[in-house]
Amino acid sequence: MMGPAKLEISNLTKAYPGVLALDDFSAAFDGGKVYALLGKNGSGKSTFVKCLSGAVVPTSGEIRIDGVEARFKGPADANAAGIAVVYQELSLILDFTVAENIMLGRFPTMGPGDITVDWKKTNAHVQDILTSLRIDIPVTRKISELSVGQRQVIEIAKAMSLNPRVLLLDEPTSALARHEINSLLEVVRSLREKGVAIIFITHKLNEIRSVADYVTVLRDGRLVGTVPIDVATPKVIVDMMFGETTLQSRPADLKVGEEIRLKVTDLHRKDKYEDISFDLRAGEILGIAGMLGAGRSELLRGIFGADAIDGGTIVLNGTEVRRPTVTRMKKLGLAMTMENRKEEGLIQIMSIEDNLCLASLDEVGQRGFLSHFLQAPVAEKWIGRLQIKVSDALQEVQSLSGGNQQKVVVGNWLNTDPKVVFFDEPTRGIDIVAKQQIFQIMWDLSRRGLSVVFVSSELEELLEVCHRILIMEAGRFIGEVLEPENTPIETLYAMCMGEMAK
Amino acid sequence: MTTSDTTGKGKGSFAPLAATRRPFFKLSDFVLEAILLAIILLLAFTAPGFATWDNWMNILRNAAMTGIIAFGMTFVLILGEIDISVGSGLAFFGCLLAVVTDSMTTAGWSAEISIVIGVVLCFGIAILAGMFTGWVRHVLAVPTFITTLAWMAAFRGGAYLLTGSFPVTPYPDWFFFFGSGAIFGIPFQAFVFLLVFIITWFISRYTVFGKSAYAVGGNAESARLSGINVLGIRMAVMSMIGVFTVLSAIMVSSQIQAGNPTVGVTWEFTVITACVIGGVSLMGGKGRVWGTFVGVLFLSIMLNGMTLLNIDEYWQYVARALLILGAVLIYQVQAMNARRG
Repeated sequence: MMGPAKLEISNLTKAYPGVLALDDFSAAFDGGKVYALLGKNGSGKSTFVKCLSGAVVPTSGEIRIDGVEARFKGPADANAAGIAVVYQELSLILDFTVAENIMLGRFPTMGPGDITVDWKKTNAHVQDILTSLRIDIPVTRKISELSVGQRQVIEIAKAMSLNPRVLLLDEPTSALARHEINSLLEVVRSLREKGVAIIFITHKLNEIRSVADYVTVLRDGRLVGTVPIDVATPKVIVDMMFGETTLQSRPADLKVGEEIRLKVTDLHRKDKYEDISFDLRAGEILGIAGMLGAGRSELLRGIFGADAIDGGTIVLNGTEVRRPTVTRMKKLGLAMTMENRKEEGLIQIMSIEDNLCLASLDEVGQRGFLSHFLQAPVAEKWIGRLQIKVSDALQEVQSLSGGNQQKVVVGNWLNTDPKVVFFDEPTRGIDIVAKQQIFQIMWDLSRRGLSVVFVSSELEELLEVCHRILIMEAGRFIGEVLEPENTPIETLYAMCMGEMAK
Repeated sequence: MTTSDTTGKGKGSFAPLAATRRPFFKLSDFVLEAILLAIILLLAFTAPGFATWDNWMNILRNAAMTGIIAFGMTFVLILGEIDISVGSGLAFFGCLLAVVTDSMTTAGWSAEISIVIGVVLCFGIAILAGMFTGWVRHVLAVPTFITTLAWMAAFRGGAYLLTGSFPVTPYPDWFFFFGSGAIFGIPFQAFVFLLVFIITWFISRYTVFGKSAYAVGGNAESARLSGINVLGIRMAVMSMIGVFTVLSAIMVSSQIQAGNPTVGVTWEFTVITACVIGGVSLMGGKGRVWGTFVGVLFLSIMLNGMTLLNIDEYWQYVARALLILGAVLIYQVQAMNARRG
């Protein structure tokens, strides 16, 4: 076995038009250690992962593995240089066995012409790999019969079977149940002995404490620092992540009215969320904070009728609804912009004009008839009001940038003349100017007496925009921030971590 | 910082919509039409008897039967679905109509009433079958290819069982008008063809229903989450093609003066071919009724011309193959160019 690996990053820079995603980033990672890589969204974490995995080519800078400079044209180069990446989305073939998945593309062969797979050797080899990682899953089990946590473990074993020098784990626990997380962290700890440099990306501070040796923090594309775990208290970490933050605040004239627009009582869905009750008043902007997988989107989708609910009552504008459907909720004045705007919010091959009329086709049309002449004024109205940058409303919507696509989604829903609007991660992947415009839209809605629920992973956004913030963890509300304007981001962050707050 | 005006009361900076007016006429949008025109001119000078009134009426008569179904198929394909049961359906509904007419007239009913009842029965079954196909597609996610594969077998089997595999000939003379009659020298079918074209063209361009069908085919999940009745659209479109199949079946029965269980074999492919030539995408979300109209004529004129030129029937299959491949390649290249901008 080779000695401990060493990954050195010097002056790594990646420029996108208008943004420096990585700005002269330098850091070193030693083998046999686990580094927790932290940084808020947009800090350059994912760009760093992409540079290391060969998915993007850095603008300048160097990556050295064991002292040898590595340049990647694609993921295959990165693999060959000894870098393996495990993503949060799984890449396993469900109908194949554990052994088949791990050895895919490099099966040992036998027989005349070496064209027959040697299954005995395959299974034995994979068994060796699993044993050395202390993973107790039968190699002949099909992936479809494994739990999500076990699948993630197999994904790690597959990466390790390539004998990498550096292993990147990109939020591997985000989709896992609590007991599964522990066995996964167990596997990660055991990887240390292999001399591999492990970079573990996560949002969860408690996981960091149980598995990491060092904490490395990125902010604005730069290295803030690497500190040993025993020094890294939550306060130290949060300070490093956020630095000096100045928040922009909500305009003072946005008043919360008396009238309750949406009342949710004891809403629940198995394994997603339970015991959910809250009121939403006219003009109120309610934020829902929480980590990935806390159940925020699922909750909004449940109320909106996009997914089924198991029970509970929803009273929307005075009408009680027990089994919401999108059509029903839309009629009652609820609108929702989906987290996944590309796949669930828009029809990419249809025009901007069509996408702006999608949710209000019945209203835009007259007695079932519809034409460009009816749609064009609608499109023009929202393109103007939401300042959507468009040269031709008949272009396919996929030609627009992320921020402008998001505005099309918003326009589509505002055209249904809603009373309550849910925004699920509306600012994801859009630039800073478009973000500010989305906030303006929410504030304008509030000014007109509409109610807004705003879900975002970016805590400072919630503090900036909302009247009130509910904190969700593992499908429950665990806290509430009543004065976002007077709450430091560190406090909100700590609250979202649950037990870490104490 | 910029302020957006969502109250709608203010000026609202209307984006430069008018700034980039698309050119009124772009030749690249009319490639298919241009090629068809070239072929017509070519055939007019080379094929004996091509450019005659009778031949054109003959082309129209043939185009109409498959064309009517092709307009229904256009919607099915726009939805991202497929219906391969139309050929068998043609035989089944033809036979059902003949058998109902035969047994009712034998029992003493008038031919008129018998035929009307037979037609209503055919429409009813076609609509129910389509609704079922759309329903299992939506609720159980069964691909329409599979369900209509089953219908294909069921319809063909049903046609043979109903007739005992012999043509049934119960029709009075007036019934033959639908398949052989003409108004001002133009075959009756041509009028139906034109009417169905205008109706489906209108639906596709000027109705909420048509726009919804494109939306469902473009992205069913986005459509659902926008509150579009996806199930309803799926059931309606699968029923619509059934209705057009019955229309075609009536005219075919009238033309051959019988209900015959052997008709319509491979019609599903002729119909799909016409749609594909017309630029309808099998991936859903894209396609124009006008394109199908041109595709139907294209196919009929090509086959007619080749027959007049005495080209062997087997070579006609080869030509058909080249036509499909050529069309698909052209559309694919066009789409890729468009994506590259």
